Amino acid sequence: MSKENLKVSRFELLMDAGFGAQKAGDILIRAFAHMGKYVFIEPMIPAEISPPARSRPALSGVIVRTAEFDLKNIGNDTDLIIAQHEIVLDRRLDDEEYSPDCKILLDMGYKASNEDSYEQVCKRASKNGINVYPFELSAEAQMLIKALGGKGRNMYYLGMLSAIYCVPEEFMIDEITAIFGKRLAPEVYDKNIKIFHYGHEHASTNFQHSYEIAGKPSDDKDRILIDGNTALSLGLIDAGVKLLSGYPITPASSIMHTLAKVSPSYGGMVHQAEDEISAIGTALGSYFGGVPAATATSGPGLSLKQEFIGYAGVAEIPIIIIDVQRSGPSTGMPTKTEQSDLTAAIFGAHGDHTKIVIGVGNVLDCFYAPAFARYLTEKLRLPVFIMSDFIMANSYKVIEKPKTCELKDVDDIPDYILDHFWMDRLPDNIEMVRDIQANPGTPGQMRRVTGLNTDKSGSVNYFAKTNQRSHAVRNEKVHHVQRALRAPELFGGVEEGELLVVGWGTTRGSIAEAVHSCQDQGLKVGGMCFRVVYPLPLMLKEIFSKFKKVVTVEMAYGDEYKRTPLAMFLRSKTLVDIEPMVCRATGRPISPQTIENEIKEILK
Amino acid sequence: MSAQTEPLTVKDLNTESPRWCAGCGDFSIIMAVKRFMVDAQLTAHETVNVSGIGCSGRASFYIDTYGVHSIHGRAIPVAMGLALARPELNLFIHSGDGDAMSIGGCHLIHGVNKNFNCVFIMYDNELYALTKSQTSPTTRKGHKTNTQPAGSYLDPIHAVSLVLGIGGSFVASTADWMPDHLTNTLKAAFAHKGFSFVHVSQRCPHFDPNNFDHKTSSWFSFLEDDKGIAPDKRLVGKTEVVKHDPTNKEEAFKFASSERPYFGLFYVDPNKPRYDQILINQTKETPSQPIADLFKTFKI
Repeated sequence: MSKENLKVSRFELLMDAGFGAQKAGDILIRAFAHMGKYVFIEPMIPAEISPPARSRPALSGVIVRTAEFDLKNIGNDTDLIIAQHEIVLDRRLDDEEYSPDCKILLDMGYKASNEDSYEQVCKRASKNGINVYPFELSAEAQMLIKALGGKGRNMYYLGMLSAIYCVPEEFMIDEITAIFGKRLAPEVYDKNIKIFHYGHEHASTNFQHSYEIAGKPSDDKDRILIDGNTALSLGLIDAGVKLLSGYPITPASSIMHTLAKVSPSYGGMVHQAEDEISAIGTALGSYFGGVPAATATSGPGLSLKQEFIGYAGVAEIPIIIIDVQRSGPSTGMPTKTEQSDLTAAIFGAHGDHTKIVIGVGNVLDCFYAPAFARYLTEKLRLPVFIMSDFIMANSYKVIEKPKTCELKDVDDIPDYILDHFWMDRLPDNIEMVRDIQANPGTPGQMRRVTGLNTDKSGSVNYFAKTNQRSHAVRNEKVHHVQRALRAPELFGGVEEGELLVVGWGTTRGSIAEAVHSCQDQGLKVGGMCFRVVYPLPLMLKEIFSKFKKVVTVEMAYGDEYKRTPLAMFLRSKTLVDIEPMVCRATGRPISPQTIENEIKEILK
Repeated sequence: MSAQTEPLTVKDLNTESPRWCAGCGDFSIIMAVKRFMVDAQLTAHETVNVSGIGCSGRASFYIDTYGVHSIHGRAIPVAMGLALARPELNLFIHSGDGDAMSIGGCHLIHGVNKNFNCVFIMYDNELYALTKSQTSPTTRKGHKTNTQPAGSYLDPIHAVSLVLGIGGSFVASTADWMPDHLTNTLKAAFAHKGFSFVHVSQRCPHFDPNNFDHKTSSWFSFLEDDKGIAPDKRLVGKTEVVKHDPTNKEEAFKFASSERPYFGLFYVDPNKPRYDQILINQTKETPSQPIADLFKTFKI
């Protein structure tokens, strides 16, 4: 094996669902992280549980990007792929996310009865200039896999990857033991470890290439490996949210799963409702009782919740709504990503409606967002959205252990959280539609809420002036936020130039990387991403005016006649002719290279 | 919690005048709620009335306690949140036949099954009234409405049978024109810990004035038992009183599915598990962890 030193590399493990590709990914990144390398991992999960093996929908895999520097996104193209068979490879080649000298290690174990199919896919790969390295599992490993009833193939691939990426075997075995040691019977565990060794040996002797990414083994106790949904779940606990009321929906369910396990230890609970509408209703009931609550959902659930969201704003009951966006419209692609729920969040629910929308762009945002959302929703008594998405929810990253605040009274929210979302403290005594806002149990303050219009006393009232006042008061709450918002951070501090690239939420990592790279190449490009997407800060027009052109990057559909949600919204706010530069609804994250190419195209 | 200094009176529970039609059965129902609260000396500020949409939905606004007039059909989910967050509060749900059995039907099934602690009052006037006379799930076959002007097409859903069928732990039926029976039913419902389903036949003088003949009594019977609800005092001797052990579910089904209306306690099961209690106890019994341990399992 010839060793090559790399700063960054991206590889993939592609398997049939149910063969342990996700588990293999978990083991790999933990080992990488322990070795002091930075990792960013994106799982590829089928929308179905266990589609027929050797079928295109069965593709289940992991994309791992590892580097000697901090990573903010999953990167561009893949340098190395291990594929269980030709069909999952063929499916993945469709996405065209491989680098020009990508190496594919293709398991030929299924070739005997599928010769034609193998041949076609190999041809397809070589036509695209990719080198395919066929291999077969060693006879000893095959015997063990047979003894395990077909399981254990992932261990072989793990062994190969550990050899190719120069991860000492003991690092990997530690992680395998941590995950499987207690779960598997000793003889089954031993067989798995043996298969792993065979895989390692196979790649060491048969594969010519190996790669080393610099990094110092770390026993730093303050670093954690966490995905977006878990960070949100723990953030809800730290924010003092005591009830998570949800209904199963991909990709939000794992928030319920995590909290169902963890929150009782912190005085909280999880309620699985009979439907999406009920889920938010129960969260509202809890918050009316003075106990902070949230609901978590995805697109279809967001549509169902809209009536209650509208109600919450009018009844002035606080509520936190987490929307882990997936590809829409309708049922769409449940395990693919998109950012096109933005309009439903900002403008959803009938009538003139007021709310606040936060967009998370990394796992740290996910952890801090619930406390920030609680602050906003309790100060304003308006619904507050936390917008995440499939990629954000499922991508793992190593971060420094975040600060905790154990939020009790929202007025005690620490500055570092407000600073993180670039917002000043809201004024005290913000006017409400109704004067009385007491929680049940308070004598002499019987608060009765309704979705009907009321006057200050809370009495139902259909008079012209009263209704106009209610609108003004609700909208003024949003204006308070607008005034408190500071200018979003400009990447690289570049405040003027030829082009400004704007985004929100999960695309932040890719936009930042692309903009920094262009800046390093001397291009006059700025970039910024909103952490609060609605409302927007007041000085936007001024910021935009310092750039000749302003464009957006959004994982949403747009074309010549149709603006993407953020572009549309920014245009209406600033009257600047903002165009969507990269607007894709492919279900795949947007890579930094794609953005960089588009920037260069515009500046040509 | 703070105690009321003065004894609670019905006057204390009055709010602005209800905007219901003269002669509406809803007046009697909220009066019975107030009378029960006074009899039991509940603390008004520790009581929440939750309602949906419709004529009945306004009930939560006309009793001077805490109140949530929520959205159509969804009073049960909101009340569930209160039951989980503030189990010490007295919780009443007010819901009409359209609200409970049509748009909110799914919530009724799960409220009954989860058996969380509340008194659920179903105002059954057998039609949609606030939207001006449309057929509801309980409208009798043949009754003419604005959406089925030739007469409602189908047999009504029988609320008591439905709730018995989905495992209600307390199932009673009463009528708005029998104040004592109604108040006693609320008393028994409140004493029961769990989802107490109280069906109330309710007059709608505007859209269906001839539906319930409240001046005669021979068309219905009372169910009676030591463990049940006493028949209305004023009507004893004027109609049939039938002995029924409310722990006998099979017999309860028989009465519920009879052509003849029965008022009283059909069924009670004090031992049905309560979802609210299970969740609350689980949290209480889980040893608490310091926030410093939040990331313990995520360390690398």
